[in-house]
Amino acid sequence: MYAIITISIVAIIVLFFGAFGKKKMILPVIFVGLPLAFIVNLMGWNQSIHYFNEMYIDDNFTIAFNGLLLFIALLIFVFAPVYYKSVKRPLEDIYALILFSLVGGLMMTAFGNLVMLFLGIETLSLSLYLLAGSKKSDPRSNEAAMKYFLTGSFASGFLLFGIALLYGACGSFNLEDIKLYVIQNQANIPAMFSIGLLLMAVGLAFKVGAAPFHFWIPDVYEGSPTLITTYMATVGKVAAFAAFFRLINSSFGDVDFLWKTSLIVFAVATILIGNFAALYQDSVKRMMAYSGVAHAGYMLIAIIALKGNAAGVLLLYSVSYSIATITAFAVLMMVRKETGSFSIKSFNGLAKHNPTVAFAMTIAMLSLAGIPPLIGFSAKYQLFVSAIEQGQLPLVIIAIVGSMVSVYYYLRPVVAMYFTRSIESTPFEAAKLYKKQILFVALLLIILSFIPGLIINLI
Amino acid sequence: METTVTQLQMIPLSYYIIFCTALFTIGVVGVLVKRNALAIFMSVELMLNSANLLLAAFSAYRNDPSGQVFVFFIMVVAAAEIAIGLALLVVVYRSSRTIDINILNRLKW
Amino acid sequence: MGSASLIVLLIIAIAFAVVAVYIGRIFGTSSTNSVKGEPYECGIETKGETWVQFHIGYYLFALLFLVFDVEIVFLFPWATVIRELGVVALVEIFFFTLFLFLGLLYAYKKKALSWM
Repeated sequence: MYAIITISIVAIIVLFFGAFGKKKMILPVIFVGLPLAFIVNLMGWNQSIHYFNEMYIDDNFTIAFNGLLLFIALLIFVFAPVYYKSVKRPLEDIYALILFSLVGGLMMTAFGNLVMLFLGIETLSLSLYLLAGSKKSDPRSNEAAMKYFLTGSFASGFLLFGIALLYGACGSFNLEDIKLYVIQNQANIPAMFSIGLLLMAVGLAFKVGAAPFHFWIPDVYEGSPTLITTYMATVGKVAAFAAFFRLINSSFGDVDFLWKTSLIVFAVATILIGNFAALYQDSVKRMMAYSGVAHAGYMLIAIIALKGNAAGVLLLYSVSYSIATITAFAVLMMVRKETGSFSIKSFNGLAKHNPTVAFAMTIAMLSLAGIPPLIGFSAKYQLFVSAIEQGQLPLVIIAIVGSMVSVYYYLRPVVAMYFTRSIESTPFEAAKLYKKQILFVALLLIILSFIPGLIINLI
Repeated sequence: METTVTQLQMIPLSYYIIFCTALFTIGVVGVLVKRNALAIFMSVELMLNSANLLLAAFSAYRNDPSGQVFVFFIMVVAAAEIAIGLALLVVVYRSSRTIDINILNRLKW
Repeated sequence: MGSASLIVLLIIAIAFAVVAVYIGRIFGTSSTNSVKGEPYECGIETKGETWVQFHIGYYLFALLFLVFDVEIVFLFPWATVIRELGVVALVEIFFFTLFLFLGLLYAYKKKALSWM
């Protein structure tokens, strides 16, 4: 709760520092504000406080996911000064929008009421629409913003109509009341209720980028500025999954026959489409977008295997996915800065010029592919184990097949870096800017690989 | 307020549900069929407003104000959404001189 | 009896309509000029296209107006319960309008409110 207030105030301060021309103050304020919010967020640990008539619930699930979101945002802000180095204007609007969307993300993990869910999703998405188009001079960025806006608001419509139908059936927006209603009427659930739940699932599947509704992801991710894409792919996805998990877990756990089949269909389609479409991409940015789709499929498995330690598994998977994605996108930013292209060819011979960055990219790719002993492996392993315990063996087999396919495309940049000679051997200038930060994130990934058990048992 | 609620309750609830579902469907079909970004905006608004109407109807039938309060929130969010949408539209129009979304195909695969 | 009178009425009605339309053509004089084809017969002639492009400044104002206008929707429920909730509600709405004002202030500082 207090993290939300802190971040909102920091965002407003940032806005006004920019408006009054104090450019130098903006980033320091953010680098003080985000850790402060992180600490403030930890204060309610093990207390499970409810705010505003159960609108906002501060339990361990919330705190763990909010901590993760704040940490990811901090990592992304580490890259912001380098990414925007050539831009002279204060950029306070972009930073403030990132912070405002972070507020939306924090609300989404913590909602105790469907009103709060809707407001959180909209706060996150509305800021992201603008951020996607923040490179005003680039028509691709404009287009990405437009597409994101159209599909996103379409999805909100579904979500909202679903909420309205659920309200009609249960007479409340409160998750506890809905759970009570479900327990009382388990035998004869009205059609309105199941249709509403399905529509909500469709709306959320749009937001997380699950398969029949993933079509906007590659376009939007490719067109947006890379820093923003990183933010969308990490914070946006993790927050949406946390919201999805909380919704299903706290209200609909007892009526899994209503949603399980459709979610399994979503998950299978997402894993297959994401992995196979990623095989055919020449642009690494687009490949990462499809990889994001595929990982959304794996994370859906955590929701399907709801019982047991699913929350911990989802948290571990989110951590591994986010950190590895940030590393990969950071390398991508650097390569783009140097070669002006996102294609796989631009990675040729990177290992020779810059072994550190090539190593970081390799680590990230291997972790995303789920190669032991990196954290990506332990996350996938735990996920599959918990799914098998819930009797989802066929789903796990499909996921493993998808995972094997993914090794091919994740290794393509690695092969290009180490085994292909570059045509022109210019030393990478941009590497000087990015090197330290990339090394930091890669080291973080390696350190986290030693403590998966700690993360999974957190909640 | 009381008279409004009783007047609202004179119409059977199923009428509201059918009407709102029809509106929602029109909105969905509009988004899928229309090629003009402004027409798509309008269709999205139709979807949101059908949900609004449904919430208000349920709220009146159950004598529970929370549905109507949610409608306020939706209205504000919808206004913000349209403001952002129109701003994006202006930016896109400046760069491409059109709001036909079929032209926006630089990012197709 | 009933249907016969109806038929008579129908014939009279049709005849009346036909006579009313064509009697003017028989007895009246006709003249044509350019003004007669105009949608409005009074006032000055319109110039240029009807679909003129509005200045982009209107959009900025419209967007700002739209957002601030709709935020007022929260003031109506507040106004109905202010007596029961007392000072707390007053302080809360003060904060609410404060944040709205900050938004306006930002727009002002970024020169979004000045006509370009």
